Amino acid sequence: MNEVALLYNFLIVGGVLFALGLIGFIVRRNLIVMFLCAELMLQGVSISLIGWGRYHGSLGGSTDAWGGQMLVIFIITVAACEAGIAMALILMLARRIGKLDSAAWQNLREDGQPIYVDREVPEERTEDRVWPHLTPAGIQPLTDPDIIIHRPRV
Amino acid sequence: MTPTLLAELPTVTEICSCLTFWGLLSAVVGLWLLLPARVWFGKQLGSLFAAVAGALVAYDLPRLGNWPDQGVFWLLALITIGAAVAMIASQSPVYSAIWFALSLLGTAGLFFQSGAQFLGVATVVVYAGAIVVTFLFVIMLAQPEGHSSFDRLSWGGLPKVLAVVTAGLLLGMLTFMLGGLKKDAVKPLAADAIAASTAHLKASDGILAPKHMANLGRHLFSEQLIAVELAGTLLLVALVGAVAIAMQRRPRLERAIEEALR
Repeated sequence: MNEVALLYNFLIVGGVLFALGLIGFIVRRNLIVMFLCAELMLQGVSISLIGWGRYHGSLGGSTDAWGGQMLVIFIITVAACEAGIAMALILMLARRIGKLDSAAWQNLREDGQPIYVDREVPEERTEDRVWPHLTPAGIQPLTDPDIIIHRPRV
Repeated sequence: MTPTLLAELPTVTEICSCLTFWGLLSAVVGLWLLLPARVWFGKQLGSLFAAVAGALVAYDLPRLGNWPDQGVFWLLALITIGAAVAMIASQSPVYSAIWFALSLLGTAGLFFQSGAQFLGVATVVVYAGAIVVTFLFVIMLAQPEGHSSFDRLSWGGLPKVLAVVTAGLLLGMLTFMLGGLKKDAVKPLAADAIAASTAHLKASDGILAPKHMANLGRHLFSEQLIAVELAGTLLLVALVGAVAIAMQRRPRLERAIEEALR
């Protein structure tokens, strides 16, 4: 395999992932999706590091070759810490105001900044309201019509 | 490699004859159409533009040299990048998380292809197994109704355009800076050069050696020992911090009133 070409391809794929994460972080408003986009940027960096490690390995330097993989191990560690703390924070924020919208926290903005108001909220179409379906499995449970009507246990 | 950025400033004809430039332009338009805040026929047109962009950029990339490797790489890159685009474009956060998991699987495949086996497995286990599940868990807790109005729009029209153009410019800069590398990459290599690099990779301390895990562990626990200890400490601190943040305490005033009444 042409190792320089492999390095080039890996760098481009990593760069594209980083750029997509950047776009998503700026454009999306859901706190969790913003965080997913940050993780996507980390993935892009990891791919380019792996590519460099492989390239240096093909040149013969063993310390340089393994250094890329070491860095990616630490990236994964830090990403796990980051996810744990950010999920706790997001959960607390969502409990306090009841939604995951980052615009709901714009009272924290700087002095003199104008407030952001949505101009128009597009209607939800029915074809967007599609949910994943589980395939039915097993036999249908027998239900007593009396229990359904009276619900003695509720 | 190019010495400096301004040493080889391209002319307009060179830019116009570069397929990557047109690919990036098409990607900018396609992503603008795909992102939330609905445009007329945005999904279909945006997917079309994004597919054209992917084909143009992929055609402009240097070839790996043998077709099985090339095919596997294209498939994995398609999965990774396509799932990432679908992730930032899908309007429901649940679907975003699932597309992100698919993108991670593609990334793990790329790791496997370049010989980083442990990291491929670690990515699947840690990211797709733990982090994405935590994301889904928090989405179910915090937003059980699924869709919401703020997922269907962005910060207005201008930030969307600016974000897409910024990312396009960033990629343009990166591909431009890599021009010297590409000149090396498209050169057909002699058979003995390929054999030499494969021999380096398969040497006893190389990445593709049979004792991959043993080598990785040796480097991790000898050269990076202090960093490993620091990473362990960081995990512990993050654990304590997450518990401290997520613990529900009663407000101090309420507690004081209860104690006074007792």
